[in-house]
Amino acid sequence: MADKSFEQRRTILKGAISASTLALVAASGLLLPQRVLAHWPTNAFNAKTVEDALMALLGHAEVADDSVVQFKVGSPPSYAVNGASVPIEIQSTLKDIERIAILVEKNPNPLAMSLDFTPAVKLPFKSMIKIAEDSLVIAVISAGGKLYKTSRMVEVDIGGCA
Amino acid sequence: MGLAAKDRIRAKLKGDETTVRLLLAHPMHTGRGKNEAGELIPAEYIQDIRCWRNDDEVLTIKCGTATARNPYFSFQLVGGQLGDTITIRWVDNIGAKGTAETMVR
Repeated sequence: MADKSFEQRRTILKGAISASTLALVAASGLLLPQRVLAHWPTNAFNAKTVEDALMALLGHAEVADDSVVQFKVGSPPSYAVNGASVPIEIQSTLKDIERIAILVEKNPNPLAMSLDFTPAVKLPFKSMIKIAEDSLVIAVISAGGKLYKTSRMVEVDIGGCA
Repeated sequence: MGLAAKDRIRAKLKGDETTVRLLLAHPMHTGRGKNEAGELIPAEYIQDIRCWRNDDEVLTIKCGTATARNPYFSFQLVGGQLGDTITIRWVDNIGAKGTAETMVR
């Protein structure tokens, strides 16, 4: 009698151990890809539309046009001969900028750049982007929990997304 | 090649702000372009650029395929002193890495 209950206890223990091991393995297996993704927002960069990209990057796509963001594209502004490298410049009077997203509406993947700011960084920010065809270029600034947007229509002579 | 194939970085102090200019040497293939033989060139582009001033991380730039070839960036840092170290590290989608460092002048 005593032997039998001992046996039972052993099997129960064994079962419990293997179950907990399984759970651990499952948990680590599930967590790993997410941690890798957090490094670079794949969903946002692979999105096919501006709304999807903003949604994936910032959590919501509702943005208000705002004149506090100044934005220059192309040289001379609003025109670019070569779409493979179009200069952009972002300037703003906003304080506490957390993030800036630069999107090109007609590109196959609209999101071009996402900048994570710290208080040590100041605008203007300048860079070069590729623009596939005549398109709206959009800058979205996330500051103090709000989104501010501005956009420019840019014409390109030679498409630059090859 | 030669000089053109090197990451370059400059940091200059003016008044109470530091201007950092950065030019990386990278082909930035989107995965949609073709070579002379008409074959697709596999995607190869910088995804993540991080910038440190001394030991503080100040800026993270995440790039998609729409960043131009040999990416150029320019931005300002609040304050700063002569001799501060500005460090840049980048990683691309196939795991290649690069680093560049300069002193504020």
